[in-house]
Amino acid sequence: MDYYVAIASIIGIHALLGLSVYLVAISGQMSFGQQGFFAIGAYLAGMGTALWGLPLLPSLVLGALFAGLIGIVVGFPALRVRGLYLAIATYGFGEVVRLVFLNIRYTKTIGDRVVGPNGAEGFRHVRYVFDRGFTGLQFLGIIAAVVAGVAVLFYLLDRSKLGATLRAVEEDEVAAATVGIDVTRVKVLAFGAAGAVAGLGGGLFIHFSSYIDHDMVALPLAIASITYPILGGLGSFVGPILGAVLLVSLTEGLRVLHELRMFVYGGLIIVTMLVRPRGLVDEALVLRVKRWVRPRPMPRGADVP
Amino acid sequence: MPGILLDATEQLLNGLMYGSLYALIGGGFTILFGVMRKLNLAYGSTIMAGAYVSLIPFYLFKVPAWVMLLSSIAGAVAVGFLVELVCFRFLRKGHELAPLLTTIGMLIVIDEAIVHATGAVGLDYARPFGEESLAWGPFLVRPDYLAILVAALACFSLIFFLIHRTRLGRAMRAVAERPQAAQILGVSLRRINVLTFALTSALAGVIGFFAVVSVGAARPELAVWLTGKGLVVTVLGGLGSLRGAILGGLLLGVLEFETMWFLGTSYRDILAFLLLFAILVVRPAGLAGARAT
Repeated sequence: MDYYVAIASIIGIHALLGLSVYLVAISGQMSFGQQGFFAIGAYLAGMGTALWGLPLLPSLVLGALFAGLIGIVVGFPALRVRGLYLAIATYGFGEVVRLVFLNIRYTKTIGDRVVGPNGAEGFRHVRYVFDRGFTGLQFLGIIAAVVAGVAVLFYLLDRSKLGATLRAVEEDEVAAATVGIDVTRVKVLAFGAAGAVAGLGGGLFIHFSSYIDHDMVALPLAIASITYPILGGLGSFVGPILGAVLLVSLTEGLRVLHELRMFVYGGLIIVTMLVRPRGLVDEALVLRVKRWVRPRPMPRGADVP
Repeated sequence: MPGILLDATEQLLNGLMYGSLYALIGGGFTILFGVMRKLNLAYGSTIMAGAYVSLIPFYLFKVPAWVMLLSSIAGAVAVGFLVELVCFRFLRKGHELAPLLTTIGMLIVIDEAIVHATGAVGLDYARPFGEESLAWGPFLVRPDYLAILVAALACFSLIFFLIHRTRLGRAMRAVAERPQAAQILGVSLRRINVLTFALTSALAGVIGFFAVVSVGAARPELAVWLTGKGLVVTVLGGLGSLRGAILGGLLLGVLEFETMWFLGTSYRDILAFLLLFAILVVRPAGLAGARAT
């Protein structure tokens, strides 16, 4: 039971990472550095509860806000760069964050434990959740609530003017600028919000595992976080969530195969891309589902073919 | 010469020698990108696959270094063909992100194969260039670093000759510039793609041999390290620009050795990535790149 609760918690946390990459992607950018914001959110939220004695919620918000702020600060210079260049520039940012946390020391001795970011040792003993007697299932509830809340925001975004603006910038920046969209502002805003979403995931993660270190936010996490939305599909926010659900449960579920697990995992990613190059939930599928859910009434007087 | 200048010069030499290894890695990434407009994230794993293949004759027959180099090239080319076949050949056109993921899938598969074959422990590699540093005037030079520089000079001369002086190179440049137009003029895209893969994979074999010689042991994690360096150098120089990759590789090498000497190892990578970020902000298409993706 605990095992499944833990897997579900990881799925929720990774879904936030996937959504963060997705949010950057729908404004036409590719980020390979969201794990940096994840780390910032994790360290800050961890410091909130473990060092400064804040409750969980304000700590999570603090981590997310700070990650979002850094997103905006980094976004201004970074978004001059496009496409794969941006992907690598943001990867550079993620690595800088990781290396800063590898070197930073800010600890207090609480009881007989050294608490706080401690260089290569990582940030241990973030025991808020355990000390308050939360069960794994209860904390999963908190994670699920946060993911659901973020998903609702994405759903609203999809049907808002801002969502349409983002998609317009993704489709064609020049055309978007001609109709009066401030392209830079939209991109920086999306980047900042995406940073906050990843930071929220990080904050949940450190409280889930009680521990984080720089190795956990290196290249493999970067690869995982872009894999969710690309495999799941960029047609809708459901894509990255589906990607996280599938891939995380696969890595765990395939444990019965022991030896062959990662071969199947890598192979499935390849096959999925060969069959559905725009991901599982692509634009065509989204359109089909929308038509099916809400058939559009024919405009009055229109000829029905 | 005062001591500090001597040190700085010695690290400059080390940086240029080791940076030429980075230049080779970046070269492999950038040639493939230039011709096919696709990033091959399995390239670091291809390099390591070559190095591991060369361990087989080494452990079985204690073969000399040049046989290991050749078997590393052969192994990398074989794996490179596999990557092309699995990740690119059957991919539908017009989807930019799909090749990123297929090569990520391949990276996972190759790494896992290596871990399974070796049990994830470091395996001692040949030390064909000896351990004694060579004295060159007041400077001490590591012989394996010098070998890397010589290898890089040879490889890049060969590659520049191939690209600028042969029919194949002309066809590759044509495909890089205007794939459709090249096809109309009778260039087979598939043939060029496969040959480009063969070329960059052979280069991967050379890199695998020299990279692992300089590290001393073959370890699976080196694939991630090589991929990271390759991406940084490629983007630093400008995607698709071979001259940019050389420049970027040397710059990264020099910066790493200078900061390691004067500030310590922990600052080395931070500065390297900050430099990457700064250069991209000032020159969004890399050092030598004019065209954006």
